[in-house]
Amino acid sequence: MAWGTFVQRLLGNKGSAGLAKDRLQVVVMYDRLGLSPEQMAALRKDIMETISRHVAIDSERVKIDFLPTPAEVTITAPVRRGRTRGEEPKQQAG
Amino acid sequence: MSGRAIVITSGKGGVGKTTATANLGLGLARHDRKVVLIDGDIGLRNLDIIMGLENRIVYHLVDVVRGRCQVRQALVKDKRFPHLALLPASQIDQKEAISPEQMRELAAQLKEDFDFVLIDCPAGIEQGFRNAVAGADEAIVITTPDVSPVRDADRVIGLLQNSLGDPQLIINRMSTQMVQRGDMLDQQDVLDILAVNLLGIVPEDEEVVVAGNRGSPVVLNEKSQSGQAYGRIVRRILGEDVPIPELNGHGGIFHRLGKLFSRR
Repeated sequence: MAWGTFVQRLLGNKGSAGLAKDRLQVVVMYDRLGLSPEQMAALRKDIMETISRHVAIDSERVKIDFLPTPAEVTITAPVRRGRTRGEEPKQQAG
Repeated sequence: MSGRAIVITSGKGGVGKTTATANLGLGLARHDRKVVLIDGDIGLRNLDIIMGLENRIVYHLVDVVRGRCQVRQALVKDKRFPHLALLPASQIDQKEAISPEQMRELAAQLKEDFDFVLIDCPAGIEQGFRNAVAGADEAIVITTPDVSPVRDADRVIGLLQNSLGDPQLIINRMSTQMVQRGDMLDQQDVLDILAVNLLGIVPEDEEVVVAGNRGSPVVLNEKSQSGQAYGRIVRRILGEDVPIPELNGHGGIFHRLGKLFSRR
């Protein structure tokens, strides 16, 4: 029984518990935040605008993650080359 | 005397709130404490049948609150332990039949005569939940190691933290075999998500069904694994330092090795 489990693990069969935990961590974090998808989108837009005001970033590849334990927000924003700090950012169309 | 009022809650239905309330009540009574159990599930009375006391109900919770009888008249005495009593729910009223304020007063009154007032909370987070929590000084949250009960437990823990502070957690129906296979969240997984203090783990056990059939809660069956688990939880509630044992086979060398390979 235990051997079978062990061999299965070696073969890369992970069982569903890890998936359950990953999914729960995401859903619980959003439940705790109590933000609707619209509010999330607005938050994301605000964060990106704030960063863009100071640094040139690749807005297509910005990642905002909320992690439950320890509770933290991580923002990954790839910085573009070619613009010096303090330079006026280009206005986005629209 | 001023007893402790503890609400047993979960958010999700069917995870074992009523079974836990019955077992903790009997377990505490066996340690010679004076205990009263309040069935807070108005409209869906169930604690009476789990306790085997369904044939002896005269008055109920709503009768007491409405002043149709004295509290003493509504308490159903347990035959096994004379200092254990049940205050049954009404089967015909709605949750709105009582208010949080009335529940608070009732619990305060009962705390004068009993060491423990255990309140079995209905599922959900609406009026029935608010009533049950209003009467309590502390809370025990019960969950099973499945995605929806854990999610609901997190929500309920958030609500409780506003009023009663951090609750204690019981993980119910843990299957060693499924944990070993990697197909069930283990205790650490659940604690990583919920981040509260663990009061105990009750293993999956067919004896719980048999106990329900008989109206004789499993804590009275010393041979059953789940009964022993409830016995340990009761001692922890009484302040004893009782370690939480790893479930049978759990934590074996192969399991640990397997875990090393499977988890980040």
